[in-house]
Amino acid sequence: MKFFSQSYSYDDPWSIVTLAFFLRYPNPYASHVLSCDVISRSVTPSGSLMTTRLILKRGAMPRWFPKGIVSRAESWVVEETEVDPVGRTVRCQTRNLDHVKVMQVQETVEFRSTPEGKTLQLTEARILSGFGWGLTRRIETHGLNKFKANLQRVRFHFMILSTFLTPVYSLVKAFLSSSSSCDNPDCSQWLLGSPQDTPVSVNLPAQPTIAEHKTSTGTDAEAYSTMPRAQNSWSRLKAWLRPPPRAD
Amino acid sequence: MADSLSPQCTPLKHEYDSCFNVWFEEYLEPALATNATEAQRTAHYQRKAEEFQAKCGKVYAEYQNCIQNAVKQKGIEPLLQQAREEHPLREPLPPAVPSSKDSK
Repeated sequence: MKFFSQSYSYDDPWSIVTLAFFLRYPNPYASHVLSCDVISRSVTPSGSLMTTRLILKRGAMPRWFPKGIVSRAESWVVEETEVDPVGRTVRCQTRNLDHVKVMQVQETVEFRSTPEGKTLQLTEARILSGFGWGLTRRIETHGLNKFKANLQRVRFHFMILSTFLTPVYSLVKAFLSSSSSCDNPDCSQWLLGSPQDTPVSVNLPAQPTIAEHKTSTGTDAEAYSTMPRAQNSWSRLKAWLRPPPRAD
Repeated sequence: MADSLSPQCTPLKHEYDSCFNVWFEEYLEPALATNATEAQRTAHYQRKAEEFQAKCGKVYAEYQNCIQNAVKQKGIEPLLQQAREEHPLREPLPPAVPSSKDSK
């Protein structure tokens, strides 16, 4: 089994990152996502939004993989998400439903609001192959590498998304992060990776750091009460994602 | 918005997604003071849930009707059933962030 864990800090407020997370399909960097359906959704008495999505992903078997074993390189993935708007936390667990003998990937993602009004992402993945034939380790390593590469792509897409979602926030953001010396609107969208502690207040792009252990951070924020409403973010984004509205 | 696994459900899915996304954006915005009581919070999110039902409930039901059939037809129901019985989020996840702050 391979275990992977990483923490990442977004300069954007939790609500924007959460919105971007929910809107991440389709995107040009996830052309392997063939379909995505909500198969259950409800609001709990405490206010959390529970969602189960069923996603069909297309994969490509590595060249060295024996032919004829996996008949179709598609995989059903189930994603369970809990959005807790009071605690400003998103928890999401994802795993594949089929081909589990070849490789089971279980991913856990959390987004937490930080006291600075930023968002901390914690990602954990367990990659397990029960394939045997001397290929188990190779499959797991391959899966891990694919997973890491994919994370980079997702993150890049998030940056683009949040650029679309954040204009309304920019003024408030300048106010909130008064330590920011970044005047370039693009600059503030950049994410910074902080290896294993609370996000630091620098507005420089940085490589995420892979942490083999869990991260320690401050407790949840109360700062969010100062966040404004993002009006029409969705319509802006929609216009970008799906140029003409459907005619029906 | 990504397509549905069944082309027949895709129009309903897009309609539902549009409705949900508008609602969701409002839902995410902090509408309560940080010192709001438990009861106020419960009431607020109760209202949000009702609002969702009123605005998107109908199209959600239609979409679910469509998609549940499609899931059955595709034969993924047993897999799904199994996965949902294990429902990872029903039980609290182990905290991804250790509660003890050792590296401050």
